[in-house]
Amino acid sequence: MTHVEKRILINKIVMILSSLSAAVGIAFLLWILTILVINGIDAINWNIFIFEGAPPGYEESGLKHALIGQVMLIGVATLIGVPLGILAGTYLSEYGGLKSKLANTIRDISDIMMSAPSIVIGSFVYAIFVAPFGHFSGWAGIIALTIIMVPIILRTTDDMLQLVPTTLREAAFALGAPKYKVILQVVIRGAKTGILTGVLLGVARVSGETAPLLFTSFNDNFLNTDLSEPIASLTVTMFNYATSPYEDWQKLGWAAAFILSMFILGLNILGRLLLMKRKSK
Amino acid sequence: MATIIDIPEEKAIEVNNFDFTYAGASDPSLKNISMPIAKNKVTALIGPSGCGKTTLLRSFNRMHDLYPGNAYNGEIIFEGRNILQEKEDMIKLRTQIGMIFQKPTAFPMSIFDNVAYGLRLKGIKNKSELRDRVEKALKDAAIWKETSARLKDDANGLSGGQQQRLCIARAIAVEPEVLLFDEPTSALDPISTQGIEKLIIELKEKVSILIVTHNMQQAARVSDYTGFMYLGDLVELGKTEELFVTPAEKLTEEYITGKFG
Repeated sequence: MTHVEKRILINKIVMILSSLSAAVGIAFLLWILTILVINGIDAINWNIFIFEGAPPGYEESGLKHALIGQVMLIGVATLIGVPLGILAGTYLSEYGGLKSKLANTIRDISDIMMSAPSIVIGSFVYAIFVAPFGHFSGWAGIIALTIIMVPIILRTTDDMLQLVPTTLREAAFALGAPKYKVILQVVIRGAKTGILTGVLLGVARVSGETAPLLFTSFNDNFLNTDLSEPIASLTVTMFNYATSPYEDWQKLGWAAAFILSMFILGLNILGRLLLMKRKSK
Repeated sequence: MATIIDIPEEKAIEVNNFDFTYAGASDPSLKNISMPIAKNKVTALIGPSGCGKTTLLRSFNRMHDLYPGNAYNGEIIFEGRNILQEKEDMIKLRTQIGMIFQKPTAFPMSIFDNVAYGLRLKGIKNKSELRDRVEKALKDAAIWKETSARLKDDANGLSGGQQQRLCIARAIAVEPEVLLFDEPTSALDPISTQGIEKLIIELKEKVSILIVTHNMQQAARVSDYTGFMYLGDLVELGKTEELFVTPAEKLTEEYITGKFG
C-alpha cells in the first residue's frame, strides 16, 4: 500500500466512525422526541389547561396550577436575571475590558457557576432562603433560577459586545458622544441580536430546571399565585406525576413533559435563527 | 535637524514641542514635534509604517484618552487654547475636530440616523432642522443622490466607498473646524478612492484638513502641505510640490525616491 492509499484509507475510516457517532446521537434524540410526541399528544386535552391537580382517579384534573406557576417562576426570574446579566456583561466588556483583573475574576467565577450542578445552587438557596424562613417559597425558586440564568446572559453579553469593532466605539467618541451614549446607542445596538440570543438560551436553560426547584419552590397540587408560598412548576409536577403509580397521573406527566419540551425547543430554535440572521449580515 | 517651513496662511492648529508616550512604554512615540496646520488647506502626513503619523493624528482630538496611561507633553494650540490641558472639554473638542477612520464606521442604524447622530448629540431635536442639516451634509459629502430615496435603510447595506462618504457626511454635519483623516481610502477600491480624494479637495473651503496616508501619490494629489515623519520625528514639513520635487532633508529624499520604507 502506498503512502497516499494509506492516507485515503485512514480518511475513510475516520469519516465513517464520526458519521456513525453522529448518527447514534441523533437516533437517540429522535427516539426520545418521538416517544415524547406520541405520548404527549395523546395526553393533551382541554382539561389540562382548565383544571388543577386532583387525586388520582378524578376526571377533572389538569396542569393549570403547574403552567401558571411555571410562567410566574420563569417570568419573574427573567425580569430580574436579564437586566442583571446584561448590565454585568456590559460592565465586563465596556468598563472592565480584557486586561482588568476584577473583570477577569468575574469571568472565571461566572464560568464556574455556569458548569456548577444546579442542585448545588438549589441547596445553597435552601440554606440561605428556605431554612431560615421555615418554609419553601416561590421567591426562593426564583432566586435559584436567577442565579443559574445570570452567568449565561452575562457571558454572552460580554462576548457579543466584544465582537463590536473598537473603531465603531472610537467613531462615536470622535463625534463627541459621552461614554454611556456610545455604549447604549452604538455598542449594545450593534450587538443586540447576539444579546437576545443569549437571553433566549438563558431562559430556555432555566425552564428545564427541576433540581433547584425541589429545594426551593417545592410544589403545590393546587393553584397558588402567592410567591411567598410554595408554588407548582411544570418540572417538579412532571417529576411527581411521572414517578407515581397512577396511570392518569403518569399521563399528566407526559403532557407536562411535552409542553415543556416544545417550549424549550421553540426558544432554542428562535435563538439559533437569530444567530443565523446575524451571521448572514 | 528638522526642516519646518513657515506658512503664510492663518494657522488652524499649532503644535509646539509635542511629545507623546503610550501607556507602559519607556520611550516617547512622538518626539518634540512642532508644526503648523494651515487653515482651509490640506496637510498630509506621510512616512513608513510605525513612524507615528497616526499617533500624531489621534492626538488632535485626544483619542488616546480613551485608553488609560497615555501621556502628552508640550502644546497643541487650537482656537487660542492648549487642548492638551486637563480641563479641556473632550465632547466640545471632538465636535470641533472631527475624524474619519481607516475602515468605514457606519453605526448599526439607518442612513439618516447615522448623519443625525452628531447633531442629536449637540441637542438638536427639531425635526425639520435635522432633516435640512442631514440633507446638506449628505450633499456636501457627494452621497445625496445615492441615498435620498432610502434614508431609512440600514447604513450597513451601503458599499464600502458609500459608507466612507456617509462617515464624512456624519463628521461634517456638526460643522467642525478641522477634519482628521486616518488613511481614509486604504480599504477602498480605486474609483471610491478617487471620489473621496475629490471630496477632500472640495471640503477644504470650509474646514482645515489633516490627512494621514501611506500613499505618497495620494499626498501629492490632495495636499497643499506635506509632512514627512520617521521614527517619531517630524523630519520635514513643506509645500507639497516642493517637498516632493526638491526635499530639503536627505532622509525625505531617500523615502520619496523609494530607497526605504
